[in-house]
Amino acid sequence: MATAPIDTVTLTAIINQCFSYATDARFSLADQTTFLIEGKRLRGQLLNLLSAQFDNTTAPFAAATASLTAVNATLSQSATALANTAQTLNSIATLVSNLDKLLAIATSFV
Amino acid sequence: MRLKIGICALLSCTVLSGCLNNRYITPVTSFQTSTTQTISVISTFYSSRNSYEAQLYLADIANDPSLSVATKDAAGHPTPLMQSTFSPASIKARLDALSVVSVYATRLYDLSNTTAPADFATASTALGTNLSSLNTTFTSLSGGGDPTANSYIGPITSVIGTIGKMYLNGKRDALVKTAIQEGGPQVNVILSLIKTDMDNIFSKEVITGANDQLASDIVAYNKDRVNLTYDQRVARLATIATAASVATSATASVPSQLVSSMISANNALLKSAASTSGKDKQLSLSSLNDALGAWVTQIQTLSTQISPLVK
Repeated sequence: MATAPIDTVTLTAIINQCFSYATDARFSLADQTTFLIEGKRLRGQLLNLLSAQFDNTTAPFAAATASLTAVNATLSQSATALANTAQTLNSIATLVSNLDKLLAIATSFV
Repeated sequence: MRLKIGICALLSCTVLSGCLNNRYITPVTSFQTSTTQTISVISTFYSSRNSYEAQLYLADIANDPSLSVATKDAAGHPTPLMQSTFSPASIKARLDALSVVSVYATRLYDLSNTTAPADFATASTALGTNLSSLNTTFTSLSGGGDPTANSYIGPITSVIGTIGKMYLNGKRDALVKTAIQEGGPQVNVILSLIKTDMDNIFSKEVITGANDQLASDIVAYNKDRVNLTYDQRVARLATIATAASVATSATASVPSQLVSSMISANNALLKSAASTSGKDKQLSLSSLNDALGAWVTQIQTLSTQISPLVK
């Protein structure tokens, strides 16, 4: 079994982007609040993921990695995130769910 | 006349010998002082990581009246209030690794400043039981799943071995040079591991934590502002200004920078010990003084910037 950590550099970038959009007046107050809540959820997961190792051949690892890449690509382009806010927030919610599934199968923690 | 020449020659030899023997005193003293100050700042930073998370959790609760305080969340997971986010054993092991570097700097100082190295205690009593058994701690952490613990074992063994030799032999002048050449590279390895830990784990925690605090304060203000008095708004905006300042400090990776400047000074010390020719020695001593001076300046600046990240 090959173990590996999840990409916490990308996850950190996503979290910081969520907090940035939470204070961005171009989004509605409701959307800002949702970005804040999702950012907090992801940060809670990050603190566990920082020290976790996973079997990188599993489906949850692949799904979480794919989600990270997709969400990061969307969030890093503010025009895309603004034009498709609902879709962006949905993809973040999917990422949270994928990371929850991943944490459930961690092989080890600090 | 012969007597005068003889006395002059003797004085010259004594002065020259003194200069050679004391070549390390000033830089090693400065190195030891700065090491103590840096380790104190970094140790406080490490020790406060779990209390920082608990404070951040409580700040979230304060900003959102719909949230209640709990020791376990709705899913049954412990909240940061009662559970350590970072394993206390892992934090302690890293503090102990820094202690090894501190003992190295202190013994280097002792060695450079004493005229009676034979009076030194034995290596085992000087190190103390805790540090002597540090490798065992890291070995058990490594077995327990701490992914970076294993990397600490080799350099710690070497530094402890070097410190031991400082006591077991009694030849100061050669030993200062040997101690720097043997211990310095391993101290660098330990410091590099600490820096990697800072960059890979703690900077992510601190940066996202500071941004979390800032965003929470701003969102809460924007929701509440119409119901706040002028004075309440001023107070809340002052809190936001502080949070913004902390977020800026966090993004600058201050603790990691402090370790970097310590590594630079250690490298300059190593280069100085390796120099052989007179010109080479002068150049390396000048570089060493520059590195030590830059480090001293950074300690003052960075320790002020780190303080808001410590709760």
